[in-house]
Amino acid sequence: MSDLVKLTIDDREVEVAKGTGLVETAAAAGIEIPVFCYEPRLGPAVGACRMCLVEVEGMPKLQAGCTLTAQDGMVVHTASTSARAAEGQKGTLEFILVNHPLDCPVCDKGGECPLQDLTFRYGPGSTRMTFPKLTFDKPIPVSPLIALDRERCILCYRCTRFSSDVAEDEQLIARNRGAYSMIATFGDEPYRAPFSGNVIELCPVGALTSTQYRFEARPWEIQDVPTVCGLCPAGCNIRATTREGLVKRVQSRNHPEVDGGWLCDKGRFTFPHLRSDDRVREPLVRGTVGLEPVSWDAALDRAEELLRGAQGKIVTALSGSETTEIAYGLGVLLRRGLGAHSAVLDESTSAALDACRAPLSTIGAAELVVVVGDDEVVDRAPIVDLWLRKARRAGAEIVTIGARGSVPAPVGGAAEALRDLAAADSELGGRLRASDRAILVWSGSGGGGGARLAEAAHALGFEGKPGCAVFHLPARANARGVAEAWAAAADADEADPEPIGLLVVSGDEAAGDPSVRALAERASTVIAITMFHSLAVGWADLVLPATASLEREGTAMNLEGRVQRLRRAVTPPVPDELAWLSKLAERFGVALSPHAAVVFEELSGRIYGGLLLEQLGEHAGLPARRPYEAPEPTPLAHSPEANVPEDHFVGTLRLLRYTPLFSGHQVERVPELQFQRPEREVALSTVDADRRGIATGDLVSLRSNGTSVELRARVDARLVEGVARLADEHAAHLHADVEVVKA
Amino acid sequence: MSSAPEIVFAGTDGGALTELAAYEAVGGLTALRRAREMTPAQIVAELEASQLRGRGGAFFPTGRKWSFLPKPEQNPRPHYLVVNADESEPGTFKDREIMLRVPFRFLEGCLVAARAIESTRVFVYIRGEYLREFEVLVSALEQLRARNLLGDVTIVLHRGAGAYICGEETALLESLEGERGQPRTKPPFPAIAGLYASPTAVNNVESITTVTPIIEMGGAEYAKLGVEDSTGTRVFSLSGNVVRPGNYELPHGYPLRDLIYEVGGGIADGRTLKAVIPGGSSTPILTASEAEKVTLDFDSLSQAGTAIGSAAVIVLDDRCCMVQLGVRVSQFYEHESCGKCTPCRVGTRWLTQILKKIEAGHGTHADLDLLLDVGDHVNGTCLCPLGDSDAIAVASYVAKFREEFLQHIEDGGCPFHGTSSLDGIVAPTDVHEAHAGGAEIHRPLEVVG
Amino acid sequence: MSPTLHDEIREVVKEYPEPRSAIIPALRLAQERHGGWLPDEAFRQVAEALDVTPAYCVSIASFYDMFHTEPVGRHLVEVCTNVSCAVSGAQRVVEAFERELGVHAGETTEDGNVTLRTVECLGGCGWATVVAVDNRHHLRVQAGDVGGIVKELGE
Ligand SMILES: Cc1cc2nc3c(=O)[nH]c(=O)nc-3n(C[C@H](O)[C@H](O)[C@H](O)COP(=O)(O)O)c2cc1C
Ligand code: SF4
Ligand code: FES
Repeated sequence: MSDLVKLTIDDREVEVAKGTGLVETAAAAGIEIPVFCYEPRLGPAVGACRMCLVEVEGMPKLQAGCTLTAQDGMVVHTASTSARAAEGQKGTLEFILVNHPLDCPVCDKGGECPLQDLTFRYGPGSTRMTFPKLTFDKPIPVSPLIALDRERCILCYRCTRFSSDVAEDEQLIARNRGAYSMIATFGDEPYRAPFSGNVIELCPVGALTSTQYRFEARPWEIQDVPTVCGLCPAGCNIRATTREGLVKRVQSRNHPEVDGGWLCDKGRFTFPHLRSDDRVREPLVRGTVGLEPVSWDAALDRAEELLRGAQGKIVTALSGSETTEIAYGLGVLLRRGLGAHSAVLDESTSAALDACRAPLSTIGAAELVVVVGDDEVVDRAPIVDLWLRKARRAGAEIVTIGARGSVPAPVGGAAEALRDLAAADSELGGRLRASDRAILVWSGSGGGGGARLAEAAHALGFEGKPGCAVFHLPARANARGVAEAWAAAADADEADPEPIGLLVVSGDEAAGDPSVRALAERASTVIAITMFHSLAVGWADLVLPATASLEREGTAMNLEGRVQRLRRAVTPPVPDELAWLSKLAERFGVALSPHAAVVFEELSGRIYGGLLLEQLGEHAGLPARRPYEAPEPTPLAHSPEANVPEDHFVGTLRLLRYTPLFSGHQVERVPELQFQRPEREVALSTVDADRRGIATGDLVSLRSNGTSVELRARVDARLVEGVARLADEHAAHLHADVEVVKA
Repeated sequence: MSSAPEIVFAGTDGGALTELAAYEAVGGLTALRRAREMTPAQIVAELEASQLRGRGGAFFPTGRKWSFLPKPEQNPRPHYLVVNADESEPGTFKDREIMLRVPFRFLEGCLVAARAIESTRVFVYIRGEYLREFEVLVSALEQLRARNLLGDVTIVLHRGAGAYICGEETALLESLEGERGQPRTKPPFPAIAGLYASPTAVNNVESITTVTPIIEMGGAEYAKLGVEDSTGTRVFSLSGNVVRPGNYELPHGYPLRDLIYEVGGGIADGRTLKAVIPGGSSTPILTASEAEKVTLDFDSLSQAGTAIGSAAVIVLDDRCCMVQLGVRVSQFYEHESCGKCTPCRVGTRWLTQILKKIEAGHGTHADLDLLLDVGDHVNGTCLCPLGDSDAIAVASYVAKFREEFLQHIEDGGCPFHGTSSLDGIVAPTDVHEAHAGGAEIHRPLEVVG
Repeated sequence: MSPTLHDEIREVVKEYPEPRSAIIPALRLAQERHGGWLPDEAFRQVAEALDVTPAYCVSIASFYDMFHTEPVGRHLVEVCTNVSCAVSGAQRVVEAFERELGVHAGETTEDGNVTLRTVECLGGCGWATVVAVDNRHHLRVQAGDVGGIVKELGE
């Protein structure tokens, strides 16, 4: 091939694609060029640390290898064949260590520290620096999640580059100049941003450490379990570090197509919810004085009794965060065993999306991205936000259509917006149609999102173009997998039972959903499967303990349509769902294995063409696109529909609730994450605020139907008129139309 | 004094030409009119014929630099001219006088240069401390604008805020883009991807000002001035222990001796010459006897192991303690290090510490070796030349005045016993520390020993 | 009505192809309005006007010597102590200021009137010693001139 170049490194010839970084080129030849600041995911090399010095024939000075790319005929000598390079490298390492406290024994990074390793390999045995080192207060909190030890910092600027060039939050900065340069945030304010935790992993020394992990373990005592995050539909690949049966930290396991090696703070820091005090650790049955713990046998007896008593008039509310196998297990029991086909599925994703599926990384290479919907992408599937930023940095145009869009649209107008795009006279639609690198994203609830999105992509001719793709962002991690597993468990039409004899609530998300709660009020009896006490205590007749995604074996399908494998990082404190579901199924004469692998095999035979769990591998691939099939009109019976705006009478505003990234039953149980939760505030458009004489920071009160909520106002220049936008958790019982007045 | 031709300061008669009419009266704006009838390529050719080399320090041929910029057909992004008016190299104060006295010649040069590289946007990055110079330029620009002489060119006068490193061209561009002024790795060079990743020419004030007379008199004519490889005149900044310090425009190739003794009136206060720093504090020092022999041009100074740099001649008399000079110069680089690359950030501080120890009389022979060895590890490993400069300068003091360093070590103290011209100054307040916001930094006491 | 800081900054932004390029002028404007230094509030204002974070503003301001993140006096006296000024007697000028003002270099007079600093090369090496008083350069200053300069700064 013409774009291959040949070069010599340390007398070895190596052939790589022209322009390949020299560090990677050397690695291809089996030669290591040590680096600290170099991290290609952060953008172009900066050449700051000077650890990578090499000698290049024809260049008078030593060169920072990380800033070079492979050129034909280049002759490079690294420290192993150039005395000058070795001397330069030794010098750099000595300089790096000049102010370093050398406190490896009490450093969390000890044992997995590049600085320690390189010092061991190339470093001086003793120090020639006899002057007082620069000292700083240590460690200081950068946030409740991250501690900074400035004395250990080698100023590679990885963390600040992440903050400014990847996450673009620009909160973690370098302060001062020269020898007194240091990493800092603004004043005493914490690093408060959705992706802050990545800087811990990026730090090549022990300067930025996790407050959760500090002094918790040493590298030789831990085990890393490769699994997948279960907190949003992106399904970032993670590794859970465990010690003595407890999860100690969560880190990225870089799937270049899915997450690019980044994690959001929710995925990284939420694991302590596993150890929450209010976890349901044994089954609970409603007795005369409320819920009381019972034995598993008694619980299963009671479950059988409730299931039989309902005589098929059963509705199942699924969370969408179950593993595909658990959802299938529930389906087998309820649908096959009891003929109970009615289900509340969280959201309307659609298999029709598979006609235009592609890895999330496709977004990074796009030239035009259109996001429809009223929710911020970062709240639904945070990692997608990073891909969008990457695309924009590379020159892509990002158009958002929604209540806070670059193109403002009325609340709930996503479906309409898509219809407009697909229409022949749409200018933007025309550009989508013409592009080979266009992306459509749906970021909002309801509205038949998945199917409508698939339809639009089909109309825009995305199928034949691998650089064009669509992504629907459901609210729950495994919305697709759960829907498909439920469907695969039996073949019968749904009929809404009336009255509802039994409501089976699967998972905490369902238990926390107001519409499910409303169903519970109509149901004669309720079985709730939840992790936490507080959720279903008031209204369940039987509570069965649930497990968390980090405790589960099985699979989940992410928003790309990728089936990924979950592995049990730690043993749950309770039997897992499949264990008791299989026992219960047995009582109704249906076969269900207690083993996720076996369940997967059965399920896979039905919907994944017999794919084996082992075939998913460490980094699951994305199956090829499937031919487009027009989806059935989405059954909207129980799905929460879009807030199609009615004409609100003058004076009232339409309530736009959103679910912030940092919310939900897991986040609520992690004290150190609380600072990330949204302020108690309501956003108003400039016009609506002006009309009411409201300014940012004013205390306002929101009223509807006799309830009222007081919070601070924020004037949001991006928000459409006629809307009051606030986080679910602050909306309490407000109705769809609210009056907003200065308090 | 010399009867050298004045090129940059022509027509000023020792004063300033700050009114457009006065400037026109001495032939101003001829170059602009002529350039507007020339093609960009013709202007570049004229510059190449003049063999003008950059006056900012690196001495790179100006015409050649411009020829590296892609044509607008090859790269449709806007092209930029960025003028380096950050003048901060210790000893240098010539650009300042140029801006004060011939602001129109300078701005005319900007317009000609912009035309040569097909740019309509010019940024003048002027060091923040030059307030009056900025005001003079504002007024001159206003006068040009009022007469509609700018054509389609916009000139923005951008004030810096105090950072020597922003004189380094890529750091300057970072600063102008609103980032911390830290150098970028090269390549890509600014000509290919400079300001906002667009093709950019970065030139020094004096270089740009000289463009005007070159177009007036023709490149070939200009090349007749000076000496081979170093054509034309140069504004030398003469400072230190001379009777008449100041800026003097002289042809390249002028003997250093004559600059000091004739132009500068000799060593002040009846002292004797000890050493000369010939091109700004980054350049290696010359002993008195070396200084007697060199001429002020590229070749002669390179042969003497130093450089013409920014043509800032610092004269030091016999009261100057070389160790103290080392401390003072090293402190400067430590203070100005941008902090991006390790060897400079750490090495400049370490060099200062060792030098202070020697000056205090606590140094050993091993410390002197360490000083040179640390310097060797700084020199050539940094991202930009700032760190190198410290190491090179300090090494030259040791090389040329080793005896004096040894005396400090062997006598256990400074042989000047408080009479050095730099005495006391070796420990100026660390303004940067105050600037750092203090509280978080616990700077250890500098206990030497 | 006099323009607000926000408006002034928006005006400066227009000179540049990218708004961030206006950070130095914006910080300078803010510093002028806040008594010669940049309290947190100033950073917030600049951040709001440029649509950037306050942290970014600090990272820029703290890089440059002419921005102050700590309070300074109403007047700023800066004495160049780089080589050319130093060998020409800058230290005696510094000492004279210290005596006249009753503070050490790096400090502010008790009444908050004057901050005295020593600084690196001010670019007036041939006119040593250079002293910048509120950014106006006094050239060829000698110890004997200091009393007059201080008197002009008033109380
Ligand atoms: C640390 C450092 C400081 C510099 N300072 C200046 C300066 O103040 N003024 C200047 O014109 N060039 C300075 N330069 C040189 C510039 O990088 C650049 O070479 C010059 O502006 C190009 O203009 P010229 O070709 O017209 O000389 C400096 C270089 C370095 C490495
Ligand atoms: S040599 Fe010094 S000034 Fe230059 S990049 Fe490195 S740290 Fe910055
Ligand atoms: S890895 Fe190359 S300079 Fe840091």
